[in-house]
Amino acid sequence: MFQHYQKDDFFDEMFAESKGSVFGHYRNLKTRFETLSIDELEKKQRRVDHGFLEQGITFTVYGDDEGTERIFPFDLIPRIIPDSEWQLLERGLTQRILALNLFLHDIYHEEKIIKDGIIPGDVVKTAVHYRPEMVGVDVAKDIYVHICGSDLIRDGDGKYLVLEDNGRCPSGVSYLLENREAMKRAFPTLYRNSAVRPVDQYPELLLKTLRHLSPRAGQTPVCVLLTPGVYNSAYFEHTFLAHKMGIEIVEGRDLITVDGFVYMRTTKGLVQVDVIYRRLDDDFLDPTVFRTDSVLGVPGLMDCYLRGNVALANAVGTGVADDKVTYAYVPDMIRYYLDQDPILENVPTYLAWREEDMKFMLGNLESLVVKAANESGGYGMLMGPTSTKKEREEFAEKIKECPRNFIGQPVVSLSRHPTICDEHQIEGRHVDLRPFILYGDDIEIIPGGLTRVALKKGSLVVNSSQGGGSKDTWVLKT
Amino acid sequence: MLSRVANSLYWLSRYVERAENLTRLVDVAHDRVLETGLSNNAETWQSALYAICSTESYEEATGIEGNDLDVGRFITFSSSNPDSIRRCFALARENARMVRDQISEEMWLELNSAHLFMKSEQAETLWLQHPGSLYREVVKFCLLFEGLIEGTILHDEGWHFIQVGKFLERADKTSRILDMLTYESENDRAMLISVLRSCSGLAAFRSEFRSDVTLENVFAFLLFSNSFPRSVRFCLRQTDNLLHAISGMPGGSFANEAERVTGSVLAQMNFSNVENVLSIGLHQYIDDLQSQVNEIGQRVFETYVLLPSEVQNIAGTENWQLQWQQQQQ
Repeated sequence: MFQHYQKDDFFDEMFAESKGSVFGHYRNLKTRFETLSIDELEKKQRRVDHGFLEQGITFTVYGDDEGTERIFPFDLIPRIIPDSEWQLLERGLTQRILALNLFLHDIYHEEKIIKDGIIPGDVVKTAVHYRPEMVGVDVAKDIYVHICGSDLIRDGDGKYLVLEDNGRCPSGVSYLLENREAMKRAFPTLYRNSAVRPVDQYPELLLKTLRHLSPRAGQTPVCVLLTPGVYNSAYFEHTFLAHKMGIEIVEGRDLITVDGFVYMRTTKGLVQVDVIYRRLDDDFLDPTVFRTDSVLGVPGLMDCYLRGNVALANAVGTGVADDKVTYAYVPDMIRYYLDQDPILENVPTYLAWREEDMKFMLGNLESLVVKAANESGGYGMLMGPTSTKKEREEFAEKIKECPRNFIGQPVVSLSRHPTICDEHQIEGRHVDLRPFILYGDDIEIIPGGLTRVALKKGSLVVNSSQGGGSKDTWVLKT
Repeated sequence: MLSRVANSLYWLSRYVERAENLTRLVDVAHDRVLETGLSNNAETWQSALYAICSTESYEEATGIEGNDLDVGRFITFSSSNPDSIRRCFALARENARMVRDQISEEMWLELNSAHLFMKSEQAETLWLQHPGSLYREVVKFCLLFEGLIEGTILHDEGWHFIQVGKFLERADKTSRILDMLTYESENDRAMLISVLRSCSGLAAFRSEFRSDVTLENVFAFLLFSNSFPRSVRFCLRQTDNLLHAISGMPGGSFANEAERVTGSVLAQMNFSNVENVLSIGLHQYIDDLQSQVNEIGQRVFETYVLLPSEVQNIAGTENWQLQWQQQQQ
């Protein structure tokens, strides 16, 4: 099974060296997989894929024919994280979400971090997702980012780095949970013998996080999940989570506002809503405040929110923390607010609005990844080493035109993981990790996260829209 | 329950019922073409198209897909037919997707795989080789689905909306199939039998009437039978009961327009016979009945889905829907 496996020059999650010894926490797995022929493995794979399609665990592909749905490709070889490593990640992620929340409170209130010269006010206020409407507003329990999905990668030495923080509506947690179910079915014995920490408590924890925010004391809060609708690519995830939490999934048209309160429309009349887990960007939330053409939102919602009659998770205005320029300052935030050294480092980042950095970026486009500050999903990106001269020239123009909007990072050779590839081969493919962090009464991180894998040979882009797949992620109990 | 959810459950079940009725209709038409021995009996197909109100969209479709477009294919698969069986499945499944958390896992799995099957080339291949086999598969699925509705979810408010959708659709389709008999001036025995079979009611007719298959008897049976589950009266009586179960209002009175209209149509049917129908004229009677069934559907929507202020102002929804789809992406 693994006899032709090439580790090459990358950090490999499983193999310490080519063909040779694996890391201790992968020993069980290797033994089990070596008893399988590649045929058997592919048979298992087909069964799992068929199950996903039949259950409709799919995402919608945009710009394709009517309602094209695909399964998110799933790889049967799980990624394993030993307990000691996970503890480090937990501490690092906890530190980070604390700092981000303090930062968000600060920039919408006292602006201490700006006055103390740690972050230029310009950078904060020109962020596309900065919401002046939120200045001076006290959000429920003073928490802004309740659900966070930071993307982690490992460099050539196996060191974990944070690539970005997703503090708006991070998605993917349903795949994490479904991958685990599929894995348990495909390898029951291996799973049982591996002492893996469970993940299925996530929906309960999420509901607890939401209930924590309710403005109405003394009764069971009415929580709802607000979805853009059935055509959204993450719609499966929305119904999945609502169902597991036992709450209503609503669209904007199901809600109305009356005298500063939000109600849902039922066959028995109007029912007051306390907490909205919204999977809808700020822009679409309320046509009377943000995008006026939004038909997905609820007119008057912001008014109810600002009066404190309804809570939103995540809060409005958290997008500032997702801005890739803000990202570069997170280590400084940690030092500033918490007086600690960052446990997890950032990828070194050049900011084009600094003159020196811009000079460096323009001179080294070939070896850098250039990203637009507010794009996601692998869009608006220049991959220096594989780019054409024309693409580099186009990006150079864009950078000069709007320096605030671009950052540059050295290409990190992401760690690789053995993955089942076409033509019956197991080869190394690049992976990242998106853990999910919940911030309610307590901070809870679901053990592991969604491991995304770039299925195309040599590719570093793991996004599902660009040919990425995923793996189950096992955090071991010991 | 959320108004939108009630609406989706209603449509989900309507589309499955529609698929089943279309399938029975097209299966019988296929059969009839065989009986007559002609290669492609245009008349049979014309009356089938007439029954499902698709004469116009068929003509449009031939403009796109060519004059030799098979009517059977048109009803079963054609993408230019807004009401094809394949599309009914897609729409049923789309509605189910919106309320996935409200229906049972089995309902979703079965409906989703039926939809995937109807979408596949495999279904078309089977249809080419042996249309009857495909139609049997479809009807089988629909019956299975009915069983799942009966046996795997709570019989609560949502279930009542599902049932209302089913019975209104069935009343509508039975009346349309009957209308085939008014399409031609003379109906032979074979045509009368076809109509009964399209409603899956030949054996039931025989045991209830024990008499000749005549135009009057067929009308009496499919309109007024008290115990045949596809007669219009039976469907409306069920609808009436279901609506009262939803509102909690005792029978014989009404709490909203949906109940008032249903009750009055039902009362009128309860005290009519086929002679009254003949004096009004078969086609005229069916025509009136259909608009009343439509009105019930509309009133249910206004009562349970719209807010009172919106009932006045439901124009321009099409444009809104388009925008709604785009922004979600």
